[in-house]
Amino acid sequence: MSARKNSGARWARVLVVLQIACVALPLSIIAVWAFTDSWPWPNLLPESFSLRGMQTIVRGGDATGLGCLLLSVEISVVCAVLTTAVAILAARAICFHRWVGRTAFEYLTMLPFLIPTTVFAMGVQVAFIRLHLAYTAFGVVLAHAIVALPYAVAIMTETTCGAGQAREQAARTLGASGLRAFWHVSLPTITPGILSSLCMSFIISFSQYFLTLLIGGGKVRTFALILFPYLSGGDRTIAGAYALVFLATTLLVFVAFRVILRKTGGSTEETALYGEA
Amino acid sequence: MRNTTRTPLSDRGVRMHATARPRALRRLTEGLAPYALALPALALMALFVYGVGIGVLQGFGIAPFLDRFDFTLEYFREAFTRSDFTSSLCFSLFVSLMSSLIALGGGILLSAALVKAKSGSFTQLLGLQIPIMSMHALVALGFIFLLSGSGLLARVLYVVGIVGSPNDLPSIVGAPSGWGIILVYAWKEIPYVAFCTITIMSHVSDSLGEAAATCGAAPVRSFFSVTLPLSLTASLKAFLVVFAFSFGAYEIPFLLGPTAPKALPILAYLEFQDPDILNRFYAMAINGIVTLVCALAALVYFLVLKHERKEGGR
Repeated sequence: MSARKNSGARWARVLVVLQIACVALPLSIIAVWAFTDSWPWPNLLPESFSLRGMQTIVRGGDATGLGCLLLSVEISVVCAVLTTAVAILAARAICFHRWVGRTAFEYLTMLPFLIPTTVFAMGVQVAFIRLHLAYTAFGVVLAHAIVALPYAVAIMTETTCGAGQAREQAARTLGASGLRAFWHVSLPTITPGILSSLCMSFIISFSQYFLTLLIGGGKVRTFALILFPYLSGGDRTIAGAYALVFLATTLLVFVAFRVILRKTGGSTEETALYGEA
Repeated sequence: MRNTTRTPLSDRGVRMHATARPRALRRLTEGLAPYALALPALALMALFVYGVGIGVLQGFGIAPFLDRFDFTLEYFREAFTRSDFTSSLCFSLFVSLMSSLIALGGGILLSAALVKAKSGSFTQLLGLQIPIMSMHALVALGFIFLLSGSGLLARVLYVVGIVGSPNDLPSIVGAPSGWGIILVYAWKEIPYVAFCTITIMSHVSDSLGEAAATCGAAPVRSFFSVTLPLSLTASLKAFLVVFAFSFGAYEIPFLLGPTAPKALPILAYLEFQDPDILNRFYAMAINGIVTLVCALAALVYFLVLKHERKEGGR
């Protein structure tokens, strides 16, 4: 019995190691190509390395380079803050109140999970042009927020319902105003949820290509937008460099949020990053 | 967990603050509070529904911005009579069904393995969260580097002596079977399904799994009769999300898909971009069909959710 159990655990470990290797392989080869100068067939290792790819990004400036990365980060930060703020309120409506339409509202916020972004983007483009939101950074932020909202609401609902309202009401009974009670009592308990919601919304916004293309119309040049044509192009070094900078930025943001989470005393186990399909 | 409504305490006017306000007014503001809280999210979702709705309406020939208000099924009829549409529909259905089924099976297996191996948070960071947060298109690039004609795999096979030239391997880009697309989705979504099921699976394994083992159930049997049924709703929900996502996504079929048949979102966007504005109606009819399929997935998702909440006593 125990021998069988051990062999089961061993197989499980082998499987986990294999899966991590499969995850690492395509990401590592991107990192290698980013610094490769020439890698002729059929060599197993690159012949020479160079910084040509990275230089291309730095020299690209505002049109195709670091300026786009900065704009992307700005758009995604604003989107993350906006989405999370909206989700905090929505979660309170879902967790603390009984009202007509609550379940319908909950289902409604999940719709962008399941109805494709492509359909939404092609449909809403005309409306965004009419409202003068198309081709502006704010329009892109708004469109990204819609796509990120289901994740943010799911995270905030779980945290808010879990935290409950008892302590906030105790503070109010003692005379604190609604806002003060929320700020001093509830906010600290839902901080882990807020952090993962910010992180998730940032990453979703940062990775949008199609939606940005249609709403930004090519005028709002985010990093995902300028990176995309390189992926099907011929220059592997430049494609690798763009992809590496993109991946590094996402990872950096993720790690930063985990560090903050740990510093604020939250458990990274419970408030892990929510999945994006 | 979700039944935390206002305590009777505040209703009885114990709250010093609020007693000054008239009772009726307080009732009214408390009644309106949830709507006010939900309003910003409602506004965003209204824009979403509007975008999808106005698009789908154009598929029926209704486009107020072009002064067209006549309902017609012509564009749907056109879609189903065009051979490139029907083959695209089959291609899209095949690719997303394969991707989501592989994600489901692989995700459950991975989740079970992670629980069994007692993996820590760092292992889960590498195995689950890194793939979840990597952009799809970049994964496609990584696989092109690995598996294209002159990719790393072809080089390894050349050194071993199996492959003679870069053109001997089946190409990952443009394969009519769509195996490259399925591979990228599997890489991304197996961890996603595992992520969605691992919490419940580790709880089950801690509590009920022990009980089953004590009662003499073999590990495999306890997995199939206890763990799997209990994590079924979580994995079914993840499966539906993956299916709907891969059915409607643009990036991966654009990068790795064949020139014919094209995936439905590619076909729709091509028609959408056409200088002839009439093609837009056709594009929107295609989008309508995509929406219909995803709406069915959403319906099943909500039914599963409802069932899950009933079971969970919420």
